Amino acid sequence: MRPKNVDASDVAGIAVSKFTNRLFIAVIVITNTIGNILLGTGMERMPDFQGLSVMAYTADLLTNWYVVSGTILLIIWMVAQLSMFTWADLTYVLPVTASAYILTALLSKYFLGERISIARWIGIVIISFGVLLVSETPEDTKHESRIDQ
Amino acid sequence: MRWLWLTISVVFGTFGDLLTAKGMSEHGIEDFGVGGLRGVLHHIGTHPLVLLGILFDALSFFALMALLSVSEISFAVPASASSYIVKTALAGWYLGEHVTPRRWWGAICVTAGIVLISL
Repeated sequence: MRPKNVDASDVAGIAVSKFTNRLFIAVIVITNTIGNILLGTGMERMPDFQGLSVMAYTADLLTNWYVVSGTILLIIWMVAQLSMFTWADLTYVLPVTASAYILTALLSKYFLGERISIARWIGIVIISFGVLLVSETPEDTKHESRIDQ
Repeated sequence: MRWLWLTISVVFGTFGDLLTAKGMSEHGIEDFGVGGLRGVLHHIGTHPLVLLGILFDALSFFALMALLSVSEISFAVPASASSYIVKTALAGWYLGEHVTPRRWWGAICVTAGIVLISL
């Protein structure tokens, strides 16, 4: 059994299944996108801070369904992303989970009716290409034995 | 003023991610059940690098909010996307990651795509 806290140089690399890896990417992308949308919507519906006491504003925040659910999703996003750092590189996780930008653009189109310009479509295609490029690399390159390219 | 907030956001965001990635890579995850989650949460709450990284990420977030209050979103989002390039450049040195040309092109594509999406 692997000790819980070990020096990074002693860790032989944690092999996770492709399914687990993809599951975490999906959780990170979905919770980040929907969490940000809910939090943004919730904050737009909040009263002006200057007209209220801190207590009243906090009470409004804690009873705002959008703010509360958005915050919960962003906490799940943070824990999932930090968990992924235990077996995957930063330069793998960040580009791959950038597909959140694509999901945000598509949700804006289909749920908020926003128009997607040609420039934005090109941006979506380029991000997708970047995600595809990085997703084909091994997720952990810190341990030489696991580098396969 | 917008360049100051942008620099603060990118610098703190970069070091925040580098420190959390470094701290979390020292945790050997054992399983993906409740026990594993408890172990991860304990590591997040007690590892100094992870805690410092989260603090830096929070400061980066507040700097981004300040940036959004003094500039258009069409400036703030693409400009702060440059942090992908900075993080990629520093990950090899600080985290010992093997940043292949494919990873570099991935980071460049993502940054360019974010710029186009937010125009």
